[in-house]
Amino acid sequence: MDPTTVYKYFVLIVKNLRRGLVRSILTALGTMALVLVVTMVWSVLYFLEAATSEKSANLKLIVTERWQLPSQMPMSYASALETGAAKDPGDIEPLDSMTWQFYGGTLDKDQRTRDNSLFAFAMEPKKLLTMMDDLDNLKEPEKGEFALVVEKLEANRQGIILGKDRLTALNKRVGERIKLFGLNYRDIDLELEIVGQFPSGRYDGSAVINREYVLQAMDQYAAENNGTKHPLADKTLNLMWLRVPDQEAFRKIAAQIENSPNFTNPAVKCETASSGISSFLEAYADLLFGIKWIFVPIAILSLSLVISNAISISVRERRLELAVMKVLGFRPVQILFLVLGEALVLGGGAGFVSAFVTWFVVNRIMGGIKFPIAFFPSFAIPDEALWWGPLVGGLAALIGTVIPAVNACRVKVTDVFARVT
Amino acid sequence: MPMKLDLIQPLLAADITGGVSAILRQWLVWLILLLVVFTIVAIRGKIPLQYNLRNLLVRWPTTLLISVAFALVVGLLITMLAFVNGMYAVTEGTGQPGNVLVLSEGSTDEAFSNLGYSDTGDIENQAGILRENDKPLMSRETFLLVNQPVEEPQPGRPKRRLLQLRGVDDSEMSGRVHGLPLEPGGKWISEAGVQGQQENLSDIEVVLGEGIAAELGFDRPPEVRAKAKNSQRLDAGDKFYLRDRQAIVVGVMKSRGTTYDSEIWAKQSLVGPMFGKGTYTTLVCRTANEAEAQKLADFFNNDYDRAALSARPELEYFESLNETNKQFLYAIIFLAVVMSIGGVFGVMNTMFAAISQRTKDIGVLRILGFKRWQILTCFLLESMFLALIGGLIGCAVGCLSHGWSASSVVSGGPGGGKGVLLEMVVTIDTLAVGLMVALVMGFIGGLVPSISATLQRPLESLR
Repeated sequence: MDPTTVYKYFVLIVKNLRRGLVRSILTALGTMALVLVVTMVWSVLYFLEAATSEKSANLKLIVTERWQLPSQMPMSYASALETGAAKDPGDIEPLDSMTWQFYGGTLDKDQRTRDNSLFAFAMEPKKLLTMMDDLDNLKEPEKGEFALVVEKLEANRQGIILGKDRLTALNKRVGERIKLFGLNYRDIDLELEIVGQFPSGRYDGSAVINREYVLQAMDQYAAENNGTKHPLADKTLNLMWLRVPDQEAFRKIAAQIENSPNFTNPAVKCETASSGISSFLEAYADLLFGIKWIFVPIAILSLSLVISNAISISVRERRLELAVMKVLGFRPVQILFLVLGEALVLGGGAGFVSAFVTWFVVNRIMGGIKFPIAFFPSFAIPDEALWWGPLVGGLAALIGTVIPAVNACRVKVTDVFARVT
Repeated sequence: MPMKLDLIQPLLAADITGGVSAILRQWLVWLILLLVVFTIVAIRGKIPLQYNLRNLLVRWPTTLLISVAFALVVGLLITMLAFVNGMYAVTEGTGQPGNVLVLSEGSTDEAFSNLGYSDTGDIENQAGILRENDKPLMSRETFLLVNQPVEEPQPGRPKRRLLQLRGVDDSEMSGRVHGLPLEPGGKWISEAGVQGQQENLSDIEVVLGEGIAAELGFDRPPEVRAKAKNSQRLDAGDKFYLRDRQAIVVGVMKSRGTTYDSEIWAKQSLVGPMFGKGTYTTLVCRTANEAEAQKLADFFNNDYDRAALSARPELEYFESLNETNKQFLYAIIFLAVVMSIGGVFGVMNTMFAAISQRTKDIGVLRILGFKRWQILTCFLLESMFLALIGGLIGCAVGCLSHGWSASSVVSGGPGGGKGVLLEMVVTIDTLAVGLMVALVMGFIGGLVPSISATLQRPLESLR
């Protein structure tokens, strides 16, 4: 078909849709509602799928305690782990590293609530810019602005960086001071100054403090208790992240660490970020399976039925018109394409609008879908949703329209005109 | 809009029991009443109901399509609610009314708690804790999460398991305190906590919850399962690896419907040091009743000065693990509302088409003397009947999910939680919600087209 014919068909399709405007709008709205559901659910699945997919390059190797959760290793492991336990000629070192310590505290130890409690990651501030997912690839001007915030945390060991949702929940602003009473480290209380905020998005609910302050507080505890160390003083390193260039380096460094005599009490294990996340998500396996293989197909099927119903009605109402078209020389296959085209334009168009609105509202206004699962606080709608929407809408429309379209091209002129007369 | 807020707010704020609030039942009662009133009015007002029913039969492809769409939405909704009901059933089915659960102060979860050995001796001597043969009814426990590789991962089965291991001093006492008897043929962990000899290391005796016994049972290769005395789960005498040591099952607890269903119990003095946690995490004390439990918890929190503790009546603790359930429930409500909106547009489309095809019929009815309200009732009933058919099929389909097993996590918020094995539960309330959603969709979807039908002028309709 040449472009002029395609254009003519398109105009005819649009005119047909406009003629039954109420019907078209209702079908489009129904499609939009169901595409919205599919887009949101797929976004969560897409994120988890991406998080659990093995990368081939620029990997993160995670070192944790081998057998137990939560992982609690001595901080003394950090220096050897930073080098990937390289000691012999031929051993290789990771490209970068990052320590993770979890500190939980509350602003009010007598009336602890979800809003006045805070879980913070204690780490080296400068690593936020090189090792943290999404923060390591910020674009200007956000990158420059956040680098300044990190500089402040580097300069002020009593600093804390908060996400906007945490700031709102705590009812605090940048520049204000807070006192956290330790929850997981009993008697380790921290006085902190809010030095800045995370860029909007993934870290809206997060908090990061300077690891030096936590370590100093541990030393302070020992000094105040006649040299008796805090009961968890040797269990403050929860995770260690090492950046490695490829799978080969991953295997080599993992072997160096796991075979090293330095990490025996407790023993440690190395895994990729995706493998670690997969282990955590195992508890949700049935739920995710149900969403993927029951919920989404049924949502798409019901969308197909809604569209199929609308197009069937439209075809039944236009039998006379279809018969006239046949008299005018339209071949059955052309009528088939016309009906399928109407469904495709309606379904695909509504699907795109729905996906775009969802993408815009969720990402730009809501700051993600707030559905904490495992350790992911919220989920953004990926840019890919902009093609999922029209695809789901269009595909559901096509599936639902096959039978009405075949019926349309089988309309017998004699039958229709016999009834008219 | 105030109407909408009045309906939604109580639902969100309601004390949700069994996953579905009583408010929803009230909604359904009102809707069914509305349907009954409409039907009575239709009969008394001589509205031609047979005409509507025949129309549904004549236009059977449309009736079928829209009913199936309704059935899918309702069936899906019921399945999702059955899942949440299962989660609620687990948290509500766990805990004894007279028990007090003691953690170290500030601990948000058992996994983060550390109780000193010296503290426990004093705690068990406190007044209020029941005693039997001069022994306090108290369970001393160390809760551990173990990251255990599966020995021979089977296709479609996990390669690693996060095992919930509870080290206990006296498993029989712990079973009594938690109200968990053993299944026939099993026995509690011995005083030594080990038996047999294998490469100079004895096997660690363990008792299992029914759920984890089944999960570990299915981790075995098919040929091993085929030869096992119980192919469906691990049973007394079966062995598996815990860390790098062999564990032998000595008993399986009747733990179905509780969080303990997915736990492995072993001797604390063996597994504590084995996983680097020498201290207790949890003490569970039995008191006479719920009021005494509250009194004892208050005492530990406010007046006890030998150790900093965080004590709660056990029922309250497990109720606090409902945060994840609420999160799932709100997500389901959101999805159900959006999918229902899609359904409403589908019904609206169908009803508009039905009315436009029957313009002449409406004209005739009006000329025969039928009033506008009778026409409205007539089409509204048709729409709601269509929804009812779909709703009933959806309820029947949704019922199939009753009894399905699934794994999930219950927690009181970020930074903790317990993996649980649950059984999905379809209750009368769940079905009521499904039917209600269908009827609401039918009512809203049919209202605008029905009003448009009443506005048609008889003579113009007949032209």
